[in-house]
Amino acid sequence: MSDKEIAQKLKAQISQDPELSKLRLKISCDDDIVLLEGEAEKWEQVVALGHLAAGMSGVRGVVNKVWPKFLLRPKKRRKFKGKASWDGMEVDVVVVGAGIVGAAIARELSRFNVKVAVVEKESDVAWGQSKANPGWVHAFAGVDVDPGLLKAKLCVRGNAMYDKLAQELDFPFKRIGLLAIVTEEELLPLLDFVEALAKQHGVPVEIIRDREEIFRREPRVTEKALAALFFPTYGSTSPYLVTIALMENAVANGVKLLLDTEVIDVMVECSKIKGVVTDRGKIFTKFLVNAAGLYADDIAEMAGAREFTIHPRKGEMLIFDSKYSSLYSHNLAPATLKTDPYTKGGGIAIAVDGNSIWGPNAEEVSYKEDIGTTSEAMEIIWEKFSIFVPNIPKEAMITAFAGLRAATYTEDFHIAPSQKVKELINVAGIQSPGTAAAPAISEMVLEILRKEGLRLEENPDFNPTRKAPPSFHSLPNKQREKLIAEDPEYGHVVCRCEHVTEGEVVEAIRRGATTLDGIKFRTRAGMGRCQGGFCTPHIIKILAKKLKIPVECVTKRGSDSELLPYKIKTLLLRGDSID
Amino acid sequence: MTKRNVDIAVIGGGAAGLAAAIKAKEKGIENIVILERNEELGGILPQCIHTGFGLRYFKENFTGPEYISRFIKKAQDLQIESKLDTMVLEITSDKKITAVNSVDGLLTLQAKAIVLAMGCRERTRGALGIAGTRPAGILTAGTAQRLMDIEGYMPGAKVVILGSGDIGLIMARRFVMEGAKVEAVVEILPYASGLSRNVVQCLEDFNIPLLLEHTVTSIHGADRVEAVTVAKVNVDWKPIQETERTIECDTLILSVGLIPENELSQIADIALDSATGGPIINDYMETSVQGIFGCGNVVHVYDLVDQVTQAGELAGESAARYVLNELPTLRKKIVLKAGDNVKSVVPQIISGEEPVTLHLRVKKPMRNVKVKIGNLSIPKRVVRPPEMVVISFTGKAIEKLEKKDELRVSIEGETGP
Repeated sequence: MSDKEIAQKLKAQISQDPELSKLRLKISCDDDIVLLEGEAEKWEQVVALGHLAAGMSGVRGVVNKVWPKFLLRPKKRRKFKGKASWDGMEVDVVVVGAGIVGAAIARELSRFNVKVAVVEKESDVAWGQSKANPGWVHAFAGVDVDPGLLKAKLCVRGNAMYDKLAQELDFPFKRIGLLAIVTEEELLPLLDFVEALAKQHGVPVEIIRDREEIFRREPRVTEKALAALFFPTYGSTSPYLVTIALMENAVANGVKLLLDTEVIDVMVECSKIKGVVTDRGKIFTKFLVNAAGLYADDIAEMAGAREFTIHPRKGEMLIFDSKYSSLYSHNLAPATLKTDPYTKGGGIAIAVDGNSIWGPNAEEVSYKEDIGTTSEAMEIIWEKFSIFVPNIPKEAMITAFAGLRAATYTEDFHIAPSQKVKELINVAGIQSPGTAAAPAISEMVLEILRKEGLRLEENPDFNPTRKAPPSFHSLPNKQREKLIAEDPEYGHVVCRCEHVTEGEVVEAIRRGATTLDGIKFRTRAGMGRCQGGFCTPHIIKILAKKLKIPVECVTKRGSDSELLPYKIKTLLLRGDSID
Repeated sequence: MTKRNVDIAVIGGGAAGLAAAIKAKEKGIENIVILERNEELGGILPQCIHTGFGLRYFKENFTGPEYISRFIKKAQDLQIESKLDTMVLEITSDKKITAVNSVDGLLTLQAKAIVLAMGCRERTRGALGIAGTRPAGILTAGTAQRLMDIEGYMPGAKVVILGSGDIGLIMARRFVMEGAKVEAVVEILPYASGLSRNVVQCLEDFNIPLLLEHTVTSIHGADRVEAVTVAKVNVDWKPIQETERTIECDTLILSVGLIPENELSQIADIALDSATGGPIINDYMETSVQGIFGCGNVVHVYDLVDQVTQAGELAGESAARYVLNELPTLRKKIVLKAGDNVKSVVPQIISGEEPVTLHLRVKKPMRNVKVKIGNLSIPKRVVRPPEMVVISFTGKAIEKLEKKDELRVSIEGETGP
């Protein structure tokens, strides 16, 4: 179909929709990419338009510039605080984004003699959706997903790569399997069909029709269970620990990690990438890998390559005390007839660190920083999943958190060289199952770079292994003693709930943590039932001492999040100026 | 691994633990060790720089540091050993303790008796399920107090306090005295949760608004707290949406309750009371495991440190008697059950033969009440949830109590303060 035909067909479809037909829109199509412009009444219409366009045959991408009439455009978070400059740096590849995808690509590139810089606007790695998901290593993209989609293929491939990766990089990974519980009678006749669909993805599945067998495997699951589907290759990991491990290994093999550095423009010459302008200077590069997650469309646009739009889809999750989650040994999910086509529906994850994480739900939002939780979603998630695990009480909930999926309107991964700007590789739309797919994505990106002309000579010094820092809590007593004998700081427990020692906090700082959240994600200090009440004062002091900065400059997660902004008495000296 | 035997191991060197250790030493036990996870003795008191401590025990008005320093000094004078910066990782029902510090490394102690005095921790935002973002500037009141009064730093300049528990009220005043602005203290109940004297001295004297029947429904701000949404609640404590309004602030302090810290008790299979969150204890402060005693806020959260000290002394004395084989086993066991308008009763089990002091927490305010314990009825003018009802049976008074396996403790009277 020609561009013109696509645009006309789309207009015709919109005119049939009672709501969308009332909007003033400009619709065009260029090179199989639909461009939508105009005003909507509300955000749901913007998303509906995007999905409608993406559903047209022949459409490769949707750039959706429609914005609701009365919705303020959010102001950008700008965090530059005049740090050291990278101006004039020259590399072969700049990777934008230090999430799990950017880190996996960087590590893959470090096998070769290429100069790589990873540019990340936050103060640490994995601070986008890589830390805000429940750590499922999906075995496949779901029975209702076309097995031919890129995300379906990369999920199955990536899942299979996890055992070796976890071994090399020493991050927690368990193939605990997924038990999808059937409680609705009308689903029972469909189980064979579901099995056939799963097999099309190439994923092993076992149908359990014997109720006793379900309770034998998971004794405390709901008595309403009628049957179950067991997917043995589902895994559980810590997505941020995977990212940290990948990046530590990449850096050890020569990759430069530039944190607190935001890309504000992309330099293009003769339709070819020349470099990036950051808030800390210009970096010149031959190739640009755009793994900027929620902001991937903004980065592409800076290069003048509008090929897709990211629409954030929020997922809220609840975390439960590990005391209760140990009652269950598999990831659990309701097997149900789906109502929302854009989510797998979430489930009950048994996280590798022992907590249970429920959710996520799915809600389209307009703001790329909208990671606030809502009481409505908390209630919905509780109602939806609590019936499956009757032994976890509501009081066991430690906290709630939210993340944003960086979805494109085609709802598939968009991993391809830009059609408009040479040497720009977009790795966008990495929504679920991105954690599982990440290793396979990095392989694919490497092949694209090779094809696009990046010379890849093997790095003879490449070391594929990385050791995780010691975790006092999970070590047997013999090894704990050895650790303390070597370094007495491992005998000083600073986080009472999770038994995290000063030695671990210091090691986290040595490996790159500069903030309270950085320590929390690396060591679990502050993740327990007291939520940092006792350990925060200790950790702030350790951070100030080791980073050689004043206590007032220690932050929760980078500048503007200072934890103790004033010394005592300074407000009194300032008089009334605070009003 | 360092291994040793002790007569009594006291877990926690705060007001309860110190009192227990001192009393046990005075009763003639030599081999006592206090295991304290902090870098100093005293528990929460060193950071409580306001007055109001010791009015009952010493008949004097002390600050927290003044109050507790008397006990720290006494423990030193009695040469009671304490291990600081020492975290107990595990205790077993046969009284084996595994602990760790940076000097001894891992150490195991075989104790003849154990006194649990781990205190309590603060409830957090997660337990309340407050929606919104997770920026810097959300702290519990006790953490804020430590940061300000021990470390010497201010967590913010424009503050909203959720919950009118005593620490919240005290911190409202502290913030104002340090030049910060306290926009409001927000309380979900129709009355303050803290002691009346603190409402007067900490809020009214400083013109800090107290919003009763209100709660915080959402937190705003990406990196630092920028505002909170507050709303009035209905009778079911559910926020009324039309009453929502935003208060700009850079800090949200939570003073929403304390939880006895019993993770170790659970490892040792000690029976807990779901109403208090602490171990079930008897006349002698003994838990369900023989030779393991509990005292202070680990058993249930007290109003005053003076009461914690007394509980510690009783537990210390009982532990000493246990080690000396002088502690009788209860011949008769009367289980006290919380009845009307009673949230909890401590001790939960009594002999009905020895003098005992009962601590009751009520559910709602009442006046002209009768406290009914089995066949006995004790009049009281007013009962309020923030203030424990204390019933002491001294001398032979307990003999009048009927002897049944189970007695109901209830409070009858007129509703309202």
